[in-house]
Parts: sequence; C-alpha cells; structure tokens
Amino acid sequence: MTPSAPAPPSVRPGGVPGRRAPALRGGRAPRQGSVLTPYALVSPFFLCFAVFSLFPLAFTGYVSLTGWNTRREGSEATFVGLENYRHLVADPDAWNALRNTIGIGMLSAVPQLLLALWIAHLLNGRLRGRLFVRMGVLVPYITSVASVAIIFNGLFARDFGPVNWLLGLAGCDPVDWHSGLLPSWTAVSVMVIWRWTGYNALIYLAAMQAIPPELYEAAAIDGAGGWRQFLHITIPSLRPTIIFTVIVSTIGSMQLFGEPYLFDLTRNANGGAAREYQTFVLYIYQQFWFNGRYGYASALAWALFLIIVVIVLVNLVLARRVRGED
Amino acid sequence: MLGTRAGRTAALAWITATAVLMTGCGSSSDEEGDSAGPVTLTVGVFGDSFTPELYRAYEAAHPGVKIKEVRADYGTHHNNLQAHLTSGAGAADVELVEIGQISGYLGQSDKFVNFKDTGVDVAQWTEAKVAQASTSDGSRLIGLPTDTGGLAICYRTDLFEKAGLPTKPDEVSALFPTWEKYVEAGRTFLAAAPKGTVWFDAAGNLFNGILGNEAQTYYDSSGNVVAGQNPAVKKAWDLAVEAVKAGESAKLSAFSAEWNTGFQRGQFATVTCPAWMLGYIRTNAPKTEGKWDIATVPGGSGNWGGSFATVPTQGKHQKQAVELATWLTASEQAITIYKTLGNFPSAVRTWTSPEVADAKDAFFSDAPVGTIFPASLEKAPVQVYGPQWGIINTAFGNALTTVEKGTDPEKAWSKALKDVAAAAG
Amino acid sequence: MSRPPAHGELDVPFGVGPRPGRSGTGADRSPEGHASPREPSALRRFSRSGRGPSRRVRGGPGLATRLLLGLVIVMSAFPLYWSVVVASHDQAAISHYPPVVLPGPHLWEHVRTAFEQANFAKALWNSAVVCGVITLAVLLTSTLAGFAFARLRFRGRDAMLGFVVATMLVPTQLGVIPLYIMVTRWFGWANDLRAVILPAVVSAFGVFFMRQYLVTALPMELLEAARIDGASTLRIYRSVVLPVARPAAAVLGLLTFITAWNDLFWPLIVLNSENPTVQVAISSLAAGVTVDYSLTLTGAVIGTGPMLIVFLLLGRQIIGGIMQGAVKA
Repeated sequence: MTPSAPAPPSVRPGGVPGRRAPALRGGRAPRQGSVLTPYALVSPFFLCFAVFSLFPLAFTGYVSLTGWNTRREGSEATFVGLENYRHLVADPDAWNALRNTIGIGMLSAVPQLLLALWIAHLLNGRLRGRLFVRMGVLVPYITSVASVAIIFNGLFARDFGPVNWLLGLAGCDPVDWHSGLLPSWTAVSVMVIWRWTGYNALIYLAAMQAIPPELYEAAAIDGAGGWRQFLHITIPSLRPTIIFTVIVSTIGSMQLFGEPYLFDLTRNANGGAAREYQTFVLYIYQQFWFNGRYGYASALAWALFLIIVVIVLVNLVLARRVRGED
Repeated sequence: MLGTRAGRTAALAWITATAVLMTGCGSSSDEEGDSAGPVTLTVGVFGDSFTPELYRAYEAAHPGVKIKEVRADYGTHHNNLQAHLTSGAGAADVELVEIGQISGYLGQSDKFVNFKDTGVDVAQWTEAKVAQASTSDGSRLIGLPTDTGGLAICYRTDLFEKAGLPTKPDEVSALFPTWEKYVEAGRTFLAAAPKGTVWFDAAGNLFNGILGNEAQTYYDSSGNVVAGQNPAVKKAWDLAVEAVKAGESAKLSAFSAEWNTGFQRGQFATVTCPAWMLGYIRTNAPKTEGKWDIATVPGGSGNWGGSFATVPTQGKHQKQAVELATWLTASEQAITIYKTLGNFPSAVRTWTSPEVADAKDAFFSDAPVGTIFPASLEKAPVQVYGPQWGIINTAFGNALTTVEKGTDPEKAWSKALKDVAAAAG
Repeated sequence: MSRPPAHGELDVPFGVGPRPGRSGTGADRSPEGHASPREPSALRRFSRSGRGPSRRVRGGPGLATRLLLGLVIVMSAFPLYWSVVVASHDQAAISHYPPVVLPGPHLWEHVRTAFEQANFAKALWNSAVVCGVITLAVLLTSTLAGFAFARLRFRGRDAMLGFVVATMLVPTQLGVIPLYIMVTRWFGWANDLRAVILPAVVSAFGVFFMRQYLVTALPMELLEAARIDGASTLRIYRSVVLPVARPAAAVLGLLTFITAWNDLFWPLIVLNSENPTVQVAISSLAAGVTVDYSLTLTGAVIGTGPMLIVFLLLGRQIIGGIMQGAVKA
C-alpha cells in the first residue's frame, strides 16, 4: 500500500453477493481510463494463458495428426490423419494405462475422502491445541511428491522395508509391493491418500463449521445421538462440498504421474515391469520422452483431455441434480 | 505475511519479472561468452565415466575453461539427449552415449560433430569399435570410444565357501565353461547355500551377459529388427527363464536402491561383471571389500556396454568441446580412468601397457583384471546394434522381470515381442 | 494457469455456489480487511480459532476422539520422521531388521554430501527464485484480473469469467510436447529457469479466487468515492484494491508457493541436474548411479525442510486459506 494513499474511509460495503454490483461506467467518473481499461487488467492473464496453455493444447492437437517420431528422420511434418487415434483405440497398453488410472483413482479417492470425512468429524469439536492438531493433519500436504515417493519406496521395500517387517510380525509373508496389481495399486494409493487426506479433511471441517447449530440443537431435542446427527445432518449439509472434493480428486487421479513414476525403481516410466501401475499420464510421458513418439503421445494427450472433459461434465450434471434436490 | 505492502509487492513483481527475463536468472548468461573469454563446458554423463580430478587437470592445462558435469540415470540421460537433439537446444557440450544407444543417434549424425574432420587419432581403437559409432558409409564418426564392457563373473568367495564350492578363480571358472553350466552350478550352489542367498541378482542381467557373446542380437547386419526370430535371443531367454524357475535369481531391480542393498547384504553369490561393474560394486558396497573375486565369463568372451563421447553441434563451444572430448578419450586419460574407476579402456594400445596389463584389483581379492578383461574382449564378436536397441533391450528386461514375479514365460515372451514391435513402429 | 495443476490446486468449489446464509461473510469487512466486530469474516474465523457453532451442541471430545486424532497425527508425521531417521544412519541401516527407529549420527554428513553431489545449494536458490517470481506474478495477474472481474463492467465479462473457470478443468500438462518445443527450440530456454517460471505466471484458480474474494470484500462505495476524487483505475487498483485484497493474497500466495515448490513434472523435463530445482535435485539423487538410500532420503529431508519451516511459521494462514477456499465462492 502506497504510503501517500489516503486512508480509505470506513464505509459500510454495498457489494453484497447475490445482488449484482453496480458498475463503474466511464460516464460517472469522467477522469477514468478508457473502456479498454478492464481489458488491460485481464490481459496479462489471458495473454500468458494463451501463449503457455491454450496454444500448446491446440498445437498438441495438430501434432497428434502427424507421425512425428524423433528416432525417424524427417517424420516431423508427415501428416497421417487419424492414424494415431486408430492406433490408440487398438493399443492394449493405452487401455491398460486407463484401467490402472481408474483403478488407482478409486483405490485412493474413496478411502481418502471417507477418512477425511471421519477426521473432519473428529476435528469438529472443542479441542485443546486446535492449531497444532490441524497442522499435524496437514503436514503431508506440504511434502512434495518426489519426497513422498522416495520415502514410501523405502517403507514399501520388498526385502527390508518396515511395512513388510510389520507384516512379518503379524505372521504374513512379505509382499512385493512393486509388482502385481493389488500390491502396487495399494502402495501407490497409500501415497496419494497420505498426502491428500488431511487437506480434504480441512475442507470438510470448514463446511461442517458452517452448518447452523440450530439443526443439531433440534436433532438433540428429538433425541438423535452423535452418529445419527452425523448421518442425517452433517452428511446432507456437506453434500455440495463432498461433490466438489469428488470432482477435484477425480481430476487429480486422472492426472496421477509423480507417485507411480518415482515408485518404479527402474525409472523407465513403465510403471512396473508388467505396467501394473503405469497411469495414463505416465504412459504419455513414456511415449513422449522415452520413445520419442511425439505424434502418438499427443494423440494420447488429447484422448485424456476428452476423457477428463466427459468425466467433469458427468460430475457437473450430477452436482446440479443434487443441488436441485436441495 | 506475504501480502503486506501489497502495492510494493506488485511493483516488485514487475521489476523481478523483468529482471528474470533479462538475465535468465543468471543461469544461462555464462553461455554467451565469446571464444576468447572464459568458457564453461558441460559434460553429460550417466555413470562414473570421468573423475573430478581429470576435469581439474584439464582446467589447469587450459586456463579459461571450466568443466561442469551433468548427471542423470541411464534412461533419463539418453532420453534427455534425444529430446535436446529434437528441440535443438539443451544438450551438454560433450555428451556420453552408451553403445546400445549410439546407433539410434547415427540416423541423426548431422546433429553431431564429425570426428573424421577433427584430426583425432582413430588408430587408438580397433576398427570395429570405431565402426560402431560411424555411419554405414563410414563418412561420419560421431563418437569417440571411452570404455568398453569386457565380461567376467564376479563372485563372493565367502558364500562359495559356505556352499562348499571352490573359491579359487581357476576352479570357479572351470565350474561354468558355458552359460548352461553356469545355471547348473547355480543349482549346486542353492543346494547348500547359506540362508537368504541365491545365485545371481537379476534375470535381466544374466540375459545381457549371455547375449554379450553374440554378434547379432536384436538386429541383423542389414539393420532389420530380428529380435523375435533370432535363435540366439530365444536361447538366452530360455536359459534365463530356466534359472529363474530354479530359484537362482534374487529378483532385484538392477541399478536400484534395493539392488545395492542386495550387494551389501550378500543376497546373491555371483553377478555378471562387465568391467564397469567393478566400480559400481566398489562404491555401493564398500564393506564387501575382499569378499569378491573374479572368474572368466562363461563362453570365455563377451562385451556388455561401454560408451562414446559425442559433441552435439548445437553447442556454442564446439571447438573447445571437441578438444575436451578428444582429450578425455585419449589413451593416457583412459589409463587414469582405469586406475581410479576400473572402467576398461577401449583404446587397444593401452592393453599392453604395464599399467593396464599388470593391474590387480585389491577390492576383488587382487584379481588380475589387467589380463581378465582383454582376454574376454579379444575373442568377443563385433556386435551389431540398431536405432531401437536400447528400447528393445529394456522390453526384454521388463519381460524377464515379470517372469521373476510369476508371469508365464510364454506370455512374457510374446508381450516382449509386442513391446518390441511397438517400439519399432 | 499453465503450471501443471497439482492435485487439489482447484480447490474452488465451482460446484458449490453461494450457500444461503453464508453469502454475507466478506461483506462485513472494512476496507483494510479488518472484520467488523459483530461478524468475523470467514477468513478470520477459520484462521483464528474456528469457532464452529456445532461444538456448542456436541460438547468436548471424548478420550477416544483424542486418541484417534493422536493416531492420525502420528500417521501423518511418521513417514517424515522415518526419513530423518534413515537419513541420519549410514546406508546399511536401511536393511536392518528390525528397522531402526531412532535418529543416528550421520545426518549432517549426509546433508553435506547431498549438497556436493546433487547441487542442492543451487537447487534451493533456484527453487526460491522460481517460486518467488511465480508467486509474485500470480498474485499480480490474479489481483488485476480478479479486480476487473469483480468490480468492473465490460463487454464479455461473464463469458470471460466462465472461460477462466472452465480452464481450471483443463489438465494443462497435456500441452507439454508443444510447450517443450516452444520453450527450448523457439525461445532457447533449455535448462533455463525461465522455462519453469513463465508458463506458471498465471493461474486461473488465482484469478477466480481473487474475484470471489473481492466481489464480497471490496465495497462499491469505496470505489465510487475514489472515482469522484478523480483517481485513475490503476490508482484505484493500487491504493484501494490491493489493500483490501491483502488477506486473500496472502493465502493465495502461500498456496501458489507450495504448489510451485513441489512441482516435478515440468521442471524434470526442462531442467537438468546442473541447474535444478529442489524437486529435480531430489529425483536426481534418487536416480543417481550409486543409489545410496540414506542419501536419497537426506535429499527428501532437505527438500521438505524449507516447506516445513514455512508451514511452522505460517501454518495458521495456510490452514485458513484451505478452509477459506472451501467456504468461499
């Protein structure tokens, strides 16, 4: 804040959401800048966005129609039409990656959100050291994916990892967490769950605290216990927030990359020797960076984009329906 | 809080943003020096190929030159190089390329300095070695050979003794004159092996070792992919599968942290040992010093790995980079590297020099490495490589790993062939 | 927003919409961002001590709740603690059975080695520069556009805002191939920090976040008064909008900083180990030739350390920001 600026007068604000704010028009304040001013204000965003996001996305579409393979000279500008997409539909590895993405997504999102709900419920009360507890819950969120993957790689090591040691104490055989669908999906999901549960718990907590206390009071008078209050008041009131977190987690899991990439000890973006946990973005990365198939990788990228759009649209329709019911 | 004095913050943002754009955060500004001024040369490597002492020695002899090493793991290193060649920027001044990858870059030989024109003394190396980094018409040479991966078998004398096997190198070599006998010896070992130990580290490494004595593996001499049809590949595969089924593999993922742990804990008794493997073992499992010895590789000869130093033409200091690459790969430096790292020189004329020929490795029970590796290399065939050799090799390695994890070998084999076809496509 | 959006970056509840009974929160704010005493703003409420109304009904938590929460915190902290433990032992300790549970004596030595081997000094500096510039740039572009969207009327405004919201759904990392060609081949920014910074200087989330905040927190009368005084739009932005935006800018800045610090996908593609960010350095340690596990975990510890410090100092604000994001809009 510039020191010379006059201290703004303390006035009651008029801009109440829900009511459209009156606009500032040039006519009312003659010395205002031109009508272009608003555009100037939003232009940095749109300019950068166009250059670094929109253009690349469109260009990806173009590349996906070429047979560009860095290991074949002169393939850069060869137009192949929809050949890459035809190949994609028949590519078992692409389907495998999609299956892994959805599988790991479910395996991480569902427990993660349920856990978050439960933790939020625990947090939603009079607590001593509230800030400490919340920070404790949120610590995983500030840990980077790279660190998380490295740490959990150690925890899940086959021969000498603490997880297998614990299993051994319980009388179980050691599990090779880097192979097989269920073990590897579990390991990758645990990383995602660990990192994001606290974050979602805080979002739920915020929503829980916005629930009018009268609802609980009324329920208490009706003799409803804690659990029934949770089921019949908390959960329904949280529905929009839950839908929101579901959408965000869904998008997040469709883009899962860092965890499976770094979990693979060989680092060849294969997601396990049998591609057990090769997610879709990881597969794109492998085709792009390891195999140099720029054309095909671009087609994969656009396919993923379309898949996400469909999923989001479905989510939004569902969300609208839920809100309509309220 | 970050938001205090927001006005100043915004002004600062513009200033910083402008400054960043102008200076590039100082990261690339040193690239623009004219040829007279101080020059920083980057050397891209994926393993221990050169030593800091070598760089410092070069800097001392060439005032105004500074050397920085860029490191990545094997896969990332080569993929980065490919991407940098494609985009025309970002490569190091001197880039190391592994033998399995070099032919992939021969198709883009115009993106590398042609050493035929630089007056380098190619007579230091065998013609076959030089040919591996040359275009088929022989007009362009894009890489200078650094080390070579003559094969041997490293084994743990302590574990051999506990299992009742002989421990002297000669007797051990006599145990497995062929790879079939090697797998058989594994069975003998397992019968009396100390608890928690098996015969070798990973099926993929055994597979690489077996193929190390084959002239043709995934490509024929006219450049066609023949991985699926070549009986030598299938034979190596079947033998590796047999060994896995016999329980001889520790099923470790090669070059990973767990693999290193395997070395440290003595989880396996033998490992296929190209010359450069000695350095790996030394650095990763220093406490196993004296417990190792080196035997002759089954079949008596073979090669796995080795590298070339290239100079991408996109670099801004090509002249200096060529000079550096020439120096780093020259025989004298090759000997120094051999003495410090154990990487065996490609330059044949060094093999007879007393410093190489008489070398013994104390870490490996004073094994006469100076004679073991030349012997292995002299009879080794000249191998044929192709553009996708590295990717194909990875596909077979992955498939063998799935066999180790319990996949049906038939299925794994056909999956490998599918991956090969996809890579070639 | 062109930084590959991290999981959870989109924490704006576009599907939630203004909820009845809560929409007035920010309106009770005086221009300096101070809440009026009668009803504290959402931001303050949650960043302070979250007087959730429900607790009055439910009463204090029982022993079971406290124990369970304790367990949750232990689970949250254990992996980090364990990484410190392993980082402070020599690399043979990783294969000890039973696993080591107490810190050993080698942490400092490993930190030094990591700094030598993986270029961590440069990495920390690079990350600080990258994240600092990105944060400031995002704040700048977001407050500018957020102000325009919240309080100025212009043709196409609603459509443009809709577009901004829609772009939050686009996984921009999918444009990575052309982006790579663009920054390296066309701009010549291979291994250059600009390649990491520039694509991330705008954030759709940031614009929307600021718009949602300013639309409730920025009093119309204040703007009108400034206009009548003859202030230009830019002047108004500087002396009216920015001060009001301060609290939201703080949380947006923190979240942006954390996301930028932890980004791996794109830096891994455009940077190398000679000029890395922290995450690239960590991952190159983990993929080095000699994978020393305690050293690798030391890298993870070094990379997380600065974030932990930020978190300890500003945890209140970060938590407030996340909870704020959930209720606002």
